[in-house]
Amino acid sequence: MMVAERWFMRNYMIKRIIWILPMLVGISFFAFVLITLSPSDPAEVALRVNEIVPTPEAIVSMREHLGLDKPFFTRYVEWILAVIQGDFGNSYVNNKPVFQEFMMALPATLYLSVVALIFIIFVSVPIGVLCAVYEGSIGDIFVRAFIFLATAMPSFWVGLLLIWLFSVQWGLVPTSGMQASNSVILPSFILAQTYIATYIRLIRNNMIENKQKNYVLYAKARGLKKRIIYKHIFRNSLTEVLTALGMSIPKLIAGSVIVENIFAWPGVGRLCVSAIFNRDFPIIQAYVLMMAVLFVVCNLIVDIYSALLDPRLRQAE
Amino acid sequence: MKIRSVVFGVILLCLTFAVCGCGSENDRLSKNELVYASTKDIRDINPHLYGGEMAAQAMVFEPLVYDTKDGIKPGLAESWEVSADGLSYTFHIRQGVKFTDGEDVNAEAIKLNIDAVCKNKERHAWLDMVNQIDHGEVMDAYTYRLVLKKPYYPTLKELALSRPFRMISPKCFKDGDTKNGVNGYAGTGPYILTEHKDKQYAIFTKNKDYWGDKAKIETIKWQVMPDPQTILLALKKGEIDLLFGADGDMIDLDSFTALQKEGKYAAMLSEPVASRAILINAHRPISSDRQVREAFQYVVNKEGIANGVLNGTETVADTLLSPTVPYCNVPLERRIYDLEKAKQLLDTAGWSMNEDGYRYKNGKKMLVTLYFNSNNAQERTISEYIQSDMKAAGIELKIIGEEKQAFLDRQKNGDFDLQYSLSWGTPYDPQSYLSSWRIPAHGDYQAQLGLEKKKWLDDEIGLTLVEPDKDKRQSRYNEILTYIHQECVYLPLTYSRTKAVYTPKLKGVGFNLSQYEIPFEKMYFEK
Repeated sequence: MMVAERWFMRNYMIKRIIWILPMLVGISFFAFVLITLSPSDPAEVALRVNEIVPTPEAIVSMREHLGLDKPFFTRYVEWILAVIQGDFGNSYVNNKPVFQEFMMALPATLYLSVVALIFIIFVSVPIGVLCAVYEGSIGDIFVRAFIFLATAMPSFWVGLLLIWLFSVQWGLVPTSGMQASNSVILPSFILAQTYIATYIRLIRNNMIENKQKNYVLYAKARGLKKRIIYKHIFRNSLTEVLTALGMSIPKLIAGSVIVENIFAWPGVGRLCVSAIFNRDFPIIQAYVLMMAVLFVVCNLIVDIYSALLDPRLRQAE
Repeated sequence: MKIRSVVFGVILLCLTFAVCGCGSENDRLSKNELVYASTKDIRDINPHLYGGEMAAQAMVFEPLVYDTKDGIKPGLAESWEVSADGLSYTFHIRQGVKFTDGEDVNAEAIKLNIDAVCKNKERHAWLDMVNQIDHGEVMDAYTYRLVLKKPYYPTLKELALSRPFRMISPKCFKDGDTKNGVNGYAGTGPYILTEHKDKQYAIFTKNKDYWGDKAKIETIKWQVMPDPQTILLALKKGEIDLLFGADGDMIDLDSFTALQKEGKYAAMLSEPVASRAILINAHRPISSDRQVREAFQYVVNKEGIANGVLNGTETVADTLLSPTVPYCNVPLERRIYDLEKAKQLLDTAGWSMNEDGYRYKNGKKMLVTLYFNSNNAQERTISEYIQSDMKAAGIELKIIGEEKQAFLDRQKNGDFDLQYSLSWGTPYDPQSYLSSWRIPAHGDYQAQLGLEKKKWLDDEIGLTLVEPDKDKRQSRYNEILTYIHQECVYLPLTYSRTKAVYTPKLKGVGFNLSQYEIPFEKMYFEK
């Protein structure tokens, strides 16, 4: 990298990181406002989830306890200052610290997402490449039909079907839970299913596009082996795929809600769903904020990575 | 070469995963373990609070007395006497019983428990008993006296409930109290909570030192499965042995009937436990007219709901509370489906039929809204059924399914014409259920606000609960139930039952008086 380019990269990174700050403030404000917009009174909800009859006196004392009697901006500033120190408040339902609840649920979701990511890579890369190499063959048509179906099928439905087939009929895996070592296979596959379809299509199309480029023609003219040529095509097609994959990671973590519920997986998705049903506002707020931060950070990493990899992006800036 | 070895590694890993970790059903049975699936985790089973699952609380903690089909039976109290004025209850505590942490169960421990409950009055506002307790006294090491402010007649019944009057070892108290949580779950019940993995499962092990008939099954695994469909699949696979639930929570009726027909599983229905009804808000423009409310009683074909929607698993309800409920065998007029009579009543009330097939009064269409809990498929189907019945009489019924919390908000604000309602069921009916009618946060209160004698009704309920004379009490109940029936604030539909589906190897399955308890201690596997 030349000196000018390095200087440019540093400026680019600083600019992007500075931009994150107002975004985070905006997101945190949004997460906070959401609760205020809810038709249910948080004080009343906090009473009701503990089966306390919400009498007017009980509501007043709960409002004081939760600090809801303070002005809106005071509450926001207090909340955000506490959040910066890792204190998201306590759950209305069990009174445990929200942060602790998240930390308990997060490993399960991460485990699920990592295995799903492995599925995505190991299934979509070979199939995508083969489809590009044998473009227009029966196999390619079959895979394209599969992609069409896989993106259209809702994951809860596929999930139940696969439980019936692999678990009830063939007895290969347990129906749900994460107690057995092989119980991760089905839920992670279901989580990966739509992504697999997307990536097969992305890899296939990118490679086919690259095949038309001049460098391929020159390589052919030089008499290079087909395998070597495809290796180059594959490498050049990867940039876009990796960028998309980077953005898929937060989506995998945030998108595990349905899968976690069907498969009784004790992760953050289930934590969030039960919080929504109980109107456990501190957990909902923390979930919205954490997921938004995850997206922003992953987006930043992907952007910087793309800028590093592709000189054209830097020049465009 | 590198890629090949990675691919090979992954395949090998997958195969290893697939081979190990598949515990078979036989392994489980030989271990004498029963797996019960629930959509909910047991959570915090502190017996003095409401955060945990009742069935789990009832397995571990015991009351002074038990409420059974044959009346009140001894629990931790071997015997008891009630003073002539009904104000003091003297309990003789069973000697030699220990909490599972080794603490002795004595009068002092009982006093500490009951005092801990009473210190947290606002949490128990639904239970009038807590307000009626004046104080408790330790008479001697094994004699405890409970003194009431008024002769509250359901005292023994309410002491027997699954919560809050169940006994936990005083060693588990936090700072001498239980309202801010407990340090452990040492009770005296037939099972001990030995392992709890949050949101995954809980293991209950048989209490070998239990004072009564010891449980037959060694361990109970409470498996959490949030999705009812997954529960059904797990049952088919033999991963779970028992499904148990009251109101379409664990298992919906269609699946129940399908499983019953399949013949591979045993299925059982309890006696009627609670009343399914539609609450008619007398505090709203259209339904404030008693004649309109009466017409609604004749519009709905309850037989059709019981047989068509509920597959004959529930019986038609003619009155809000079943005559089998204590004090509820009151002679009341039976109102059977009669469309013509309904039409007549609506005509007399001034709602005349228009060309569009709906009724109008002073240019206003007869449009009412029914709200139900959207998570309950059964409630939706019943609501749709009612909608078509109403249409036949010229009433437009809008049905709106709402999430539980929104539904409760509406209940509290009284912002509904009609709302789906379920009584509390035995053993809370009639005393606790009627008592709750006096609390503004309840839909019943809001719907009854439009009644001319609402104040009388509330006072009468209060007086009935402290009426020492049984006959006088009965006549007060007669008055209350007759008034409510005449005013047509409830449209009783059916009496609901608790359902159990289980593997045929499991024997001894039955029901407790409370639909929220599961009598695991009586179950066993056929050898």
